[in-house]
Amino acid sequence: MSSPGASPPVLACTGLGRTLPADPPVTLVRDVDLAIQPGKFTAIVGPSGCGKSSLLYLLGLIDRPTAGQLLLDGRDLTPLSGDERAAIRLEHFGFVFQFHFLLPEFNALENVALPIRRLGRLHGAAVEARARELLGEVGLAGKELKSPDKLSGGERQRVAIARALANDPRLILGDEPTGNLDSVNSARVVDLFVALAHQQGRAVVCVTHDMGIAERADVRVEMLDGRVVAVKAQ
Amino acid sequence: MSSNLALLFHIAWRHLVVRRRQTAVAIGGVAVGVGFFLAVSALMVGSQNDFIKTLISAAPHIIIYDELRSPPPQPGVRIYGGADAAVALHGYKLRNEVRGIKDWQAILRTVNDTPGAIGSPSLSGAVTLRLGGREEPLGIVGIEPGLESKVSDVADKLRAGSLDDLERAQGGVIVGEELARRLGLNMGDIVNATAASGTTKPLRIVGLVKKGNTMIGQSSGYMLLREAQSLLARPFIINRIGVRLTDAYAADDVAHALESRYAYKAESWQERSSDFLSFLVTRNVIMYAVVSAILLVASFGIYTAVSNSVADKRRDIAILRSMGFSQGDLQLVFVFEGLALAMAGVVVGWVLGTALMEALGSLKFPVSGEDQRIPLDRSTRQYLIAAVASLLSGGIAAWLPARKAARVDPVDILRGAI
Repeated sequence: MSSPGASPPVLACTGLGRTLPADPPVTLVRDVDLAIQPGKFTAIVGPSGCGKSSLLYLLGLIDRPTAGQLLLDGRDLTPLSGDERAAIRLEHFGFVFQFHFLLPEFNALENVALPIRRLGRLHGAAVEARARELLGEVGLAGKELKSPDKLSGGERQRVAIARALANDPRLILGDEPTGNLDSVNSARVVDLFVALAHQQGRAVVCVTHDMGIAERADVRVEMLDGRVVAVKAQ
Repeated sequence: MSSNLALLFHIAWRHLVVRRRQTAVAIGGVAVGVGFFLAVSALMVGSQNDFIKTLISAAPHIIIYDELRSPPPQPGVRIYGGADAAVALHGYKLRNEVRGIKDWQAILRTVNDTPGAIGSPSLSGAVTLRLGGREEPLGIVGIEPGLESKVSDVADKLRAGSLDDLERAQGGVIVGEELARRLGLNMGDIVNATAASGTTKPLRIVGLVKKGNTMIGQSSGYMLLREAQSLLARPFIINRIGVRLTDAYAADDVAHALESRYAYKAESWQERSSDFLSFLVTRNVIMYAVVSAILLVASFGIYTAVSNSVADKRRDIAILRSMGFSQGDLQLVFVFEGLALAMAGVVVGWVLGTALMEALGSLKFPVSGEDQRIPLDRSTRQYLIAAVASLLSGGIAAWLPARKAARVDPVDILRGAI
């Protein structure tokens, strides 16, 4: 497997597989070896139904693999309990989905503050200051107190990105993060992702079928029928 | 940890605030349950206490009768052995004993030596009142006014006159006002009384007992003990000792002690009213069954509200899980929703219950010419029982659907979202 760059991978998997216990069993992901580098924007591409989202959920500890190993900084995550996996997601992973999934009862600032409060390292005014800073970073200064339904689609997705960044995660995982955005907003989000990788040294992994995004990625992982068929550095 | 709980409660709170109508309905359900629980139990406990108070105070706590619960052993049996002896006696002539409590002064002394107990001897018997060709039976009770007023509350039940007036008038008698009305008698009037022994004496009405006090009875009359003894031709005899205790609930024990010592039947108020008391137990069982049904139904409202909330919030649950909230966190969010609903319901229910009690307490019912209020028991115990029961059932009602929230698989939701 060709791994571009010299730095050790933040997240790596060997022989990773996911089979649904149906009759007959359905294999979503099979035998994937992959190393995710910090400071790189990795795109996972492939035809729909090829298992790219399933792979992302396995990498993001949202789903459990039925085969193989997943290592975070060389530590095997496979045997961890649900609560331990949740704790790792909280601290090290930030997710952005095709849908913003903001809690409708909370305004932008409160949505961003949720993971910070759950982690519990900051308190009171520090939580709010951190959330404001993040919203400023994604260009939403001044819209902190708006509720999600008062924001445009692009703004909501940027709130979701700010929320993903809340606990300063080392990995940002995106599942078609621009799937619901127009080209202008889509470009802004991709710019943000590239900056998060290149300027802040985070590992960014995006599942996309948008070739425009795939073009801008540092690493392109191509999938077919649940397998990784090519990993291209570009 | 506590800041995490605060965060989870914050999420639960927002869910409730947004779903105003459902929240209001669930709170209303609990509030009505708690309110009616308070009102009904105040009524039931209040009337029960009032009833027991009447039972306890209407007559002496213990009455010692000149009766034996089992016939005394005959001298022949006593001499030739007990029940397992070889001798059985039949058909011999019984000694004719004079009725009345023998050696009653000794019993009275024992009673008065018992801490917190006062005894009052009395003689009761039947006479017939005759007035202008009309006859009315009357149960005469001869009493020592000074003692009797300490033992029963006859003195408080008088419409006119007082027990002490018995001492002042020759042949004074206190009768029920209903009886007096039937005979056309007024205070100070004289009526002839004939005893079974044939003695006839004129009696002067010196007091009237209020009607409606059925425990005392409208067909009994009170006289001085010595005058009753002479009217009934039973000098120096008494056939009852009434006992009042400071602690009414000790009556059973004291009665047993007296009876086992003197053999005369000593009846406590509990024994006297055992059928009423068992009726009260049944009443309480019914009340608590109905009231817990009300509280249970209220918790159905919480179950529905939390269930709907879980179903509505599957996306939020999924995103919170992906963010790093644990299954336990999500379960707590929805349990908190249920507890918050129950808590709010309890508070509103307390207000509602208090208002209901005030309304019931302000009602007046004319009973035998006097305004009477419904007896209510407003103890904080009922408030606490209602709160604990509601929170418990609310917590369980919320916990059931909350488990479903914890089991939501984020993968299904996140990938298949709308």
